[in-house]
Amino acid sequence: MYEIRLEKLTKKFGNGLVAVDNADLEIGRGEVVCLLGPSGCGKTTMLRMIAGLEWATSGDIMIAGKRVNDLPARERNVAMAFQFYALYPSLSVEDNLAYPLHAENLSKAEIASRVARVSEALDLKSILKRRPHQLGEGEKQRVAVGRSIVRDPTCFLFDEPLSRLDIQLRQTMRTQIKEILAKLDKPTVIVTHDQIEALTMADRIAVMQQGKVEQVATPHDLFSKPANLFVASFIGTPQMNLIPAAIAEIGPKELDGSVNVKFAVLGETISAAVKGGVADLGAGGKVTLGIRPRSFEFVDNGTMDALHASVDIVEPMGAETLAHLLEQGVDLRCVVQSNVAPAAGERVAVRCKAGQLHVFNESGKLVG
Amino acid sequence: MWSFGLSFFEYKANRIAPPVFKGLDNYRSVLADSDIWERFQHTATIVVGSVAVQLVVGFLLALLFAREFPLRRYLLMLVLAPMMLSLSAVGVFFKLFYDPTLGFMSRFISLFTSETYVILSTPARATAAIVFADAWMWSPFVMLLVLAGLVSVPKYLYEAAEIDRAGWWRRFRTITFPYIRSLLLLALLFRTIETFKIFDVVYILTEGGPGSSTETVSVYVFRLAFQFFKTSLASALGYIMLFAVIVLTSLYLYAIQSRRAEPVNE
Amino acid sequence: MSKSPTHVIGSSGWSRTVGAAIVSAIYFFPVYYILMTAFKTRPDALAMPIKFFFTPTLDNFYSVFQRADIQGGGTTDSGFSHYFFNSLFIGGTSVTLALIIGTAAAYGFSRFPLKGNDTYLFIILTTRMLPPIIAIIPIFVLFRVFGLSGSYTGIIALYTAFNLPFSIWMVKSFFDDLDRDIEDAARMDGSSEWTVFRKICLPQVYGGLAATFVFAVILTWNEFLFALMLTGTETRTVPVAIARTIGGQVGVDWGLLSAIETLFIIPVVVVTFLLQNQLLRGVTFGTIRK
Repeated sequence: MYEIRLEKLTKKFGNGLVAVDNADLEIGRGEVVCLLGPSGCGKTTMLRMIAGLEWATSGDIMIAGKRVNDLPARERNVAMAFQFYALYPSLSVEDNLAYPLHAENLSKAEIASRVARVSEALDLKSILKRRPHQLGEGEKQRVAVGRSIVRDPTCFLFDEPLSRLDIQLRQTMRTQIKEILAKLDKPTVIVTHDQIEALTMADRIAVMQQGKVEQVATPHDLFSKPANLFVASFIGTPQMNLIPAAIAEIGPKELDGSVNVKFAVLGETISAAVKGGVADLGAGGKVTLGIRPRSFEFVDNGTMDALHASVDIVEPMGAETLAHLLEQGVDLRCVVQSNVAPAAGERVAVRCKAGQLHVFNESGKLVG
Repeated sequence: MWSFGLSFFEYKANRIAPPVFKGLDNYRSVLADSDIWERFQHTATIVVGSVAVQLVVGFLLALLFAREFPLRRYLLMLVLAPMMLSLSAVGVFFKLFYDPTLGFMSRFISLFTSETYVILSTPARATAAIVFADAWMWSPFVMLLVLAGLVSVPKYLYEAAEIDRAGWWRRFRTITFPYIRSLLLLALLFRTIETFKIFDVVYILTEGGPGSSTETVSVYVFRLAFQFFKTSLASALGYIMLFAVIVLTSLYLYAIQSRRAEPVNE
Repeated sequence: MSKSPTHVIGSSGWSRTVGAAIVSAIYFFPVYYILMTAFKTRPDALAMPIKFFFTPTLDNFYSVFQRADIQGGGTTDSGFSHYFFNSLFIGGTSVTLALIIGTAAAYGFSRFPLKGNDTYLFIILTTRMLPPIIAIIPIFVLFRVFGLSGSYTGIIALYTAFNLPFSIWMVKSFFDDLDRDIEDAARMDGSSEWTVFRKICLPQVYGGLAATFVFAVILTWNEFLFALMLTGTETRTVPVAIARTIGGQVGVDWGLLSAIETLFIIPVVVVTFLLQNQLLRGVTFGTIRK
């Protein structure tokens, strides 16, 4: 049973800007879904529409089975943590936490106990009497989250919760929030532009671009089966290598549906076993090959099905090393263990590991 | 540059000393004079009355103009107009407005009372008339200050309150008011200082009358100096006024400093 | 599909405009009265209840500048154009002087904090705050002594002194708002202080200087007390002339008076409209900026 459902949700602004374009999304009880995408892709707008801070132009928003399009935010019983925390500056942390509870008819004792429970969970006990301007970023963020969980809402909405924290804090908070959300078992939507955040915190991720939902999948599937070029290049660091190629020769279909295809790429020919869909493009079809930096393995020069290139720049990253290879003006990013990294200026050969080659057709969709 | 300002002080000192070298006697007689206290009272009444009205009206006007709406810019100009009139004009014209036969205000009030209403006839009414004119003229000032505060509240605070289902009074108390509180205080101090010195309007409207019931300290000083030629007394009184103003100004400056330091914003 | 959301500080529609219009109209009414009267003939002006519909006339405006000769025919120049000139000239000159000196002082205060800074600033602000009454006596005598009564030099010098504190405070606030990084970069490149001031800081505050100029002129424009005491026939400014017009005449010519005031506030109105953004800063002497 899905707790939040968006059907053909669209938001058009007065000046013609289409912020959200026909989006569909389902979020189950207790599921954490991240809206991931670059700035301006519409993720925050979508979140605000679920919250009730923006009205939808068309489409349906269902929360717990009820259509809420016409309900103002206060009647939707949603909890939201804002990007800028939105803590009430004139109130202490304690009062900030208790704020939403005044709308419910609770006794003072009940309010106090809930606040105590939350401050225990988020380690806010020592700063209860302080005012927002006296808090550090991490503390403010915890109060913002605390304010959401002190209630019993239908869902949680977090807008870029970790974007203002430094890297250390981010890692700590990621884990902490994940734990809390797991305990609360409510549908949660998190907006972020940081894929690490999304990949670690979400059960599923909706990748968005320019108002459209490009793909909704688990982190694993997004990584290994990106639906199109955008998702493929957005997910994964360093970025996936996208190399233009053409189909040279199509082999016979195997029993499992895969086909052995020869590709003409970067002046050489490599062959790989790919899904049947690639064969449908026909010989000579133009494609884009997607190979993740860690999918490359260095082989001896002259090996079959390998690409030859010169090493341009080598960036040590600790245990791993990022090597930039240059061939015909195309930059190939390869990540290998530092102890086997090549040196700049060398001529090397690399091969894509089996099963890790992605083929995209001319319109950018994954075919194999 | 500022030494020019200081020279003001020096010259005043000269005034008190040479003609009649009485030293502090002037101050004593000034402070002992019961008339003076009466005048201070009159001034206080006017100040309290006018500033109170200004704060309330200014606040309400600010609420009205807080949001953007069509023609806002132009209507705002209308409301700001009273501040732009010259003080003498306000005095002169309000005198007309209050006139029993020719003034529309008297006529307007007559609609509610039986006989022709002479506004400037009794001390109470005259004071009220002054307060009305002064408050009318300066409420827009308060409005400007409060407006600045209202507009500086970050939008997302109201959104959070909406999500948190807070009622309008709660929203006002916890979000809006803290932002405008310091500005209201500033308006209070500023207008108090200025109204304390009020002269032009009072002099033109009532000349301190009827009798001397609306004579403010400023008018009294003026009289002392130029009508009775008790220059030194006037100077002494002037100094006392100055002292009062300095105290108030210090309060004002203090309030500004603390506003700068007040981290209501994130 | 849509009700409108409960955004508080957002846009509202025409319903608010109507409400605001009503309130504004009521509030504005006395001013409107003055404006109307300026265009009315004498009997119309005094008619009760108020005549809202009348045939407008420009006679009053003519009368401002010309006045019918009491004996014989013809008209003489009432001298009002001269008074307007005086107000402009005296106001403009004094403010310009104050601004020049003030800007230099403000830059000093802003950039070179001295130990006694706060005290100086305090004294300066107080000078602005003090009741004109108490200063009038010594000034009056001073003028007499130096023979400055009724002269241009005297009143201009005085107004310059008056406008100085205001200028300093306003301009200082503008200098304070500037981004120091550019100046530091210039200093590191070897520019002298004077160059930094002239080429970097000054150009950025031109707008602020203009606003200060305008506000100061408005303050001086409306100044009454000192003008009353210290200007003679030659140097009289408009506010004083207004006061004199109503004193000692057979009945008050309200139409004339309205016309004078109307003309008088036009500059103020125009300027306020143009400088709406700077308004708050100007009206609080530079202590508050949005």
